[in-house]
Amino acid sequence: MRRVSGLVSVLLLSLLAIAIAEACLAALLLLFSFILNLRLGIELGAAGVLGGRSNAHQPDEVMLFNAAIVASVLFTTVCGLAAATLGFRRSRPAR
Amino acid sequence: MKALLKLYPRSWRQRYGREMEVLLEQIPGEIGVGLDLVLGAAAAYAMVVRSNRFLRASGAFLHGVCVAVLLQAIAFVTFILFAQRSATSTSVDLGTLRFAAFLRPNFFRLQEQLLVQLSHLDWLPSATILIALAAALALVLVAPRLLRTVR
Repeated sequence: MRRVSGLVSVLLLSLLAIAIAEACLAALLLLFSFILNLRLGIELGAAGVLGGRSNAHQPDEVMLFNAAIVASVLFTTVCGLAAATLGFRRSRPAR
Repeated sequence: MKALLKLYPRSWRQRYGREMEVLLEQIPGEIGVGLDLVLGAAAAYAMVVRSNRFLRASGAFLHGVCVAVLLQAIAFVTFILFAQRSATSTSVDLGTLRFAAFLRPNFFRLQEQLLVQLSHLDWLPSATILIALAAALALVLVAPRLLRTVR
């Protein structure tokens, strides 16, 4: 029981870490689009979010679609898991 | 100043807490001492993390996630940098899947913009952000090694 609750805690914490990382990435992209004078559109399912600086002289727009969001979450998860696996193997106790 | 000792891990406080309290009673409470205590708490936690295999793997997981976020930010800015130099709208597609698109709504105004961009070095902000992100990535990648050498 204790092991199961431990595994669930690790899983939930990993999901939380990935969610925070994705939110930070979204904030970074919004900041960059603001600096670069662009409008940033992010597609989330059927809905969409539009942010950034609205400028009539340079109305360029960057759109990120659902596939990019899914790929981003997968890439972040895979990178985290790969690093954790490497870290876990490297810290194997000596026999 | 003694309250800062609560920042230390429990195992550390059980072993050295009493001695440290006595020591803190003898020295004046200055900002430098407080800073030393905070840094010492960080070092003590780093020792705890290093000695535990699962905590170490968790740290590595967070490190990998940071690297992934920086790589994606670099990809985004690189895409904008290339798309801004292009005369038409640019998109990143894989088969029927569309990942990202850089949309230019007015082609005639675009010609003017492109000339203005070329003359005013409009690529400079993107390039600066890209360089800053690359520097941040390099720092994040070497940080574990640096921490090991500090130890």
